[in-house]
Amino acid sequence: MTIWETIGKIYENTIFVYGSILLVTYALLAIFSFIATRAYARKAQFHEEDVLMSSPLAPGITVLAPAFNEGLTIIFNVRSLLTLNYSNYEIIIVNDGSTDDSLEQLINEFELVPVDFAYNAKIQTKPVRKIYKSINPAYAKLMVIDKVNGKSKADAVNAGINAAAHPHFVCTDVDCILDKNTITELIKPVMQEKSKRVIATGATLRIANSCDFDAGLMVRMRPPKQLLPRFQEVEYIRAFVLGKMGWSLLNCVPNVSGGLGLFDKEIAIRCGGYDHSSFGEDMELMTRMCRYSHDNKIDYAIRYIPKTLCWTEAPSTVKVFQRQRTRWARGLAQLMYAHFGMFLNPRYGRMGMIVFPYNFFFELLAPIVEITGIAYYIIMAILGLINWPTALWLLLFVYTYSVMITTIAILWDQLTFRYYKTWKEALYLCATPFMEFFLYHPLIVVFSIKGYLNFLTGKKTGWGNMQRRGFQTTVKVATQK
Amino acid sequence: MFSESFSVLFHDFRYAPLIIQIALIFIVIAVVATLLAYLSILVARFRGYRNDKRLSKLQPLIDQLLIEHILMNESLNDPNLLPEQVQLPIEVFDQPVFQKKWARQAMIDRLINFRKNVRGAMGDQIRNLYVQLELDKETLKKMKSGKWEKKVQALYEFTSMDMSIADVTILPLTNSRNRELRAAARHAYIKLSKNEPFKFFDVATEPLLEWDQVELFKIISTTEHIAIPNFAQWITYSSNKSIVSFCLKLIVHYNQLSAVPAVVKLLNTKDHYLRADAINCLGKLKTETVEEKLVYMYDSQPLLCQLEILKALGRISSGKYIDFLRQEFLHATDFEVRKHAAKSIINNQWAAKGLVQELVDTATSENKLILKHSMNPLIKY
Repeated sequence: MTIWETIGKIYENTIFVYGSILLVTYALLAIFSFIATRAYARKAQFHEEDVLMSSPLAPGITVLAPAFNEGLTIIFNVRSLLTLNYSNYEIIIVNDGSTDDSLEQLINEFELVPVDFAYNAKIQTKPVRKIYKSINPAYAKLMVIDKVNGKSKADAVNAGINAAAHPHFVCTDVDCILDKNTITELIKPVMQEKSKRVIATGATLRIANSCDFDAGLMVRMRPPKQLLPRFQEVEYIRAFVLGKMGWSLLNCVPNVSGGLGLFDKEIAIRCGGYDHSSFGEDMELMTRMCRYSHDNKIDYAIRYIPKTLCWTEAPSTVKVFQRQRTRWARGLAQLMYAHFGMFLNPRYGRMGMIVFPYNFFFELLAPIVEITGIAYYIIMAILGLINWPTALWLLLFVYTYSVMITTIAILWDQLTFRYYKTWKEALYLCATPFMEFFLYHPLIVVFSIKGYLNFLTGKKTGWGNMQRRGFQTTVKVATQK
Repeated sequence: MFSESFSVLFHDFRYAPLIIQIALIFIVIAVVATLLAYLSILVARFRGYRNDKRLSKLQPLIDQLLIEHILMNESLNDPNLLPEQVQLPIEVFDQPVFQKKWARQAMIDRLINFRKNVRGAMGDQIRNLYVQLELDKETLKKMKSGKWEKKVQALYEFTSMDMSIADVTILPLTNSRNRELRAAARHAYIKLSKNEPFKFFDVATEPLLEWDQVELFKIISTTEHIAIPNFAQWITYSSNKSIVSFCLKLIVHYNQLSAVPAVVKLLNTKDHYLRADAINCLGKLKTETVEEKLVYMYDSQPLLCQLEILKALGRISSGKYIDFLRQEFLHATDFEVRKHAAKSIINNQWAAKGLVQELVDTATSENKLILKHSMNPLIKY
């Protein structure tokens, strides 16, 4: 056996073990997520949604939404936040030095005036220019912070955390549309926890692109008509309903999405808030909060709920999508590099022994493994060393397995919530995983590799503000129909 | 033909390498599981659609029967008879559809809905109908079920219909390890126990979670004719911290000044979360007599309790400790302490009119900003 044959054999065996562990992990996640999702649904039927609506015991929550050049949708989205069903909350919009007329729109629409606000910069951010409150009592919950652009979402959110009055904050993007019971749903796991300190709660996000909205509320949920956003819808269902719910059962949630999450303000501040230099600031904060909790012997929990509480506009062009995924991949690489001390470190409990190794092997390395696999495949094909029937059977196996896992995620979602109005829409979504393997997944791999290269070369890139189309358009179209 | 193809396939499979055999088995499993998933989605959606459709047909019928024959039926308003003695025209409900279990459940749900929205004699007649249609027996069956979901549903139905349940049945459930069942039993006990609705406070070993407290608070504060006890007894004797904490909130809600001595004793507790709750309670009750003790203990307290003391002095607003507040505002290093001291100074400013202006004129720029923040009516927190 030559050296090349030996290397090839080792590579093949390694990939076999790697793939087998991954497939088993997905199967286990499918089972765990089923248990967690059903448990959530069974319990939720006995909880009154409006119990916190007028209760003087409702804990205070701050809703934080950073905005950078969101003039197209900002009024619509702030109105949406003002309609949330909760008694004790404030909304802080952080205008992160927008160069469009976002701030002027907010001032005019909500009758804002500058106030002398005792801003305490517990987390360092770019300077805050002014803080505004409304003179109209109808908008008493609203506060707008106008600050110098910090070139990151993290800097904007940190300014909001500094000004937040309540012990928990909900972090969302100003372009996200929230379910009216979002705050109640997110604080519920915190209030129902017996012994652990719930440091963060997340919920399922979905794609808003083809949904109908009216006065800031989602009134009709549809799977996206365009293929790229529809792939993302399927991916979100798999990631949230199957992945994060499964991990939630083990108290091993790796990340609470930046689109929507509730956080313990004290812990977030103590560990320094969001890292403005990170490209995956949400996951980075979560990791640091876990690390802080372990270091300080805080018996913490991170909870996830399977219900969709947030709709976000997904990139509908490959160019914007590439920008987003490249940034995410770079953020993951940064995170792994910065916190590598946690990797297989028993001191960090499940975070160090399960979450970190999983993210390292099956999130960070996966695109690299795939690329090297394809290269290996090509070389073997050129050398005529491929047993084609075997290769095709194995490919078919991976394909059918991936379709099955995604379909199971859709099934859990459908069994629990019966989203979408018609069965045709549900089946339309079910057909998407068949194409995902060939059309969508290669894009993710390529963009991830690009993100890693950016990380390695230190290429300068910005926050990557997404070009929004706006939800009002959707409403108008729906109304015209 | 089919058997020949099958035997060829079987032959190929049998002599294929092990890895291919495994792959083939998993391909079959994946395809079957995917197809089953589609089928399950369709079946679940069909069932949901069918339930929605039949309920949308049945509910108007139930509503019409209820309104026509019960709620608007003048002949039922006999002042000489107790509501439970009135014989209702239950024969109108004797329809084939109501023989079905789902329809009877729909009827229970509808009656509960109506009972929530009507009070007095009409509410009593709805309860009467629930009994005369023997729907209470359906609920009892659920109560005897081994499944916690059924028990919770039964407790909810009995509570909504104001049906009594024996203490011996319900009290053990108030300490169930299942949170949902425990909460439902506690809610039911408070609503249904005529003499001692808070008796479970004595036996509660499981903690009263924050969510439970909110739900209980709503039930306690919205249930009519509930005998409100002096919550001081649990403040003094309960070893369950969550019960003590909840009682402090109830003392504030019912403005139970008689409980103040018990709450003051709680200031000596070693649990600083509970101590902070006690200080909060005393502040909200505007207990002027406790101000001296609060100020005396201030320096030895953790930040959480210090902030509560400052807030309490602002709420009590006696004007006696304005110098203390001034000292804290000017000399404390913690931002939150200065902010709460400033807010309390503003609340006490009637006692020292020139002080606020003096502080505005002489304070550092940060302290000046804190004062302006505290004075601005647009800023709540």
